[in-house]
Amino acid sequence: MKLWGRILWTLLSGSRGRRGVPQGWALNSWKPLSSLTGLLSAREVVSHWTQVFEQRGIPEAQESSEYIVAHVLGAKTFQSLRPVLWTKPLTPKQLQYIQELCSHRLQRMPVQYILGEWDFQGLSLKMEPPVFIPRPETEELVEWVLEEVAQRPTTVGAQGGPLILEVGCGSGAIALSLLNQLPESQVIAVDKGEAAVRLTHQNAQRLQLQDRIRIVPLDITSEGCWTHLLSWGPIDLVVSNPPYVFHKDMEQLAPEICSYEDLVALDGGEEGMDIITHILTLAPRLFNVSGSIFLEVDPRHPELVSSWLQSRPDLRLSLVAVRKDFCGRPRFLHVRKSAV
Amino acid sequence: VLLHRLVSAMSTWALLRFPAPLIRMCSGNWGLGLQEKPALLFPGMAATAVQVAGRKDYPALLPLNESELEEQFVKGHGPGGQATNKTSNCVVLKHVPSGIVVKCHQTRSVDQNRKIARKILQEKVDIFYNGENSRVHKEKLEAGRKKQAKKKRAKETLEKKKLLKELWEASQHVTEERTGADGVPGGFRE
Repeated sequence: MKLWGRILWTLLSGSRGRRGVPQGWALNSWKPLSSLTGLLSAREVVSHWTQVFEQRGIPEAQESSEYIVAHVLGAKTFQSLRPVLWTKPLTPKQLQYIQELCSHRLQRMPVQYILGEWDFQGLSLKMEPPVFIPRPETEELVEWVLEEVAQRPTTVGAQGGPLILEVGCGSGAIALSLLNQLPESQVIAVDKGEAAVRLTHQNAQRLQLQDRIRIVPLDITSEGCWTHLLSWGPIDLVVSNPPYVFHKDMEQLAPEICSYEDLVALDGGEEGMDIITHILTLAPRLFNVSGSIFLEVDPRHPELVSSWLQSRPDLRLSLVAVRKDFCGRPRFLHVRKSAV
Repeated sequence: VLLHRLVSAMSTWALLRFPAPLIRMCSGNWGLGLQEKPALLFPGMAATAVQVAGRKDYPALLPLNESELEEQFVKGHGPGGQATNKTSNCVVLKHVPSGIVVKCHQTRSVDQNRKIARKILQEKVDIFYNGENSRVHKEKLEAGRKKQAKKKRAKETLEKKKLLKELWEASQHVTEERTGADGVPGGFRE
């Protein structure tokens, strides 16, 4: 029992902070080992790590703890675990693995990178730093595109379904969820980051969608890149979650983001508009008679985009709709090229 | 005509798809006074939020009216979107007229949790208002009845088999008696 106690003690202790001092459990209110008569259950472990995270100022202490423990036990969320597993004792191996994962969380690594995977629109995607982690709001962007496609069936090209261009595909979240729910569609996914191109490729293969996607390393701000994109024929739809953070806001980003994600995927320049304006300039060249652009943006952008489009009548684009995210913030834009 | 096409298009996508608030505007005269509650382009759409495909023998569950639902996400502080990394995807959904609340954290996707929460809430609301007549209750009864019927049939089959076996054994026994040890049919002894 004493040896077991010592093993437990080591396993449960948090990583040794930056100064090499064991932190979190030493002087806290956590129960002394002597009161631990038996083995630890999932619930107890979650509770323990929640406390450790809280003391170390780690955001989403309980959620992080739950996701990690659930993952080690083979489930996606704690709530979805078979109830019997909530109280069953964990094995030393499981405890060890949990401790390893939690030590990353203590270094502010995002949970999605710790688990190496995350879900988006019902798909399980591989996650890997520094490729941008899909945000929950972006699922609504996909929903909107799906609704619009359903109302306006397009039959460009021999294959039927829309030909979609995604700018800045990251992990492939948007591209792959569209492919998955639009069985006739094809997607050209571009990203200027090599790691993103690789990860999108891996996710496409995992999901067996590689036949309908072309993943192209491309910087859409580069001169003449549109000629390359036209080689697959006219595009029906452009969709993007482009870098849209205002440059001055970048320094306020949490350590989870700053220390682990590719900041190039976030920084949109002075008014967060740099990539957005490039996409809007590029799109009309890619469309046939008409076409739609769906963007995720900062809540300040609807007005800025509207003004900018008015200053560029040559593009023949108009902002036709703004949609709010689930927090009630204007988050998504639908810009359309007019036929006349 | 547009409304009709929109409605019919929406109903083919009806399974678990729900419209979100839309603000439509023309590029020309767009003032950016974003109202508190954006007017829906087609107000009628608000009514048909979720339709769960009906089974042949039962009608589809009553769709939930989005305007009667209150949804709570862990919104968190901060700007949201790219500027935040949130993993708290738990959805709490309340049906205001009945007061029923559903909490869903079954998946790591907010979108999926919203859909699942609606489905569960729809069933609970059905039970709440229809009690014994609710589809869930009827399905349970039906399942129970089917199970009983199956048990009954199985029992009957078993009994038949038993009877047949007994008859067969009895006939074997009679045949032995008839032939007897000396080969003379027993039934004809003097």
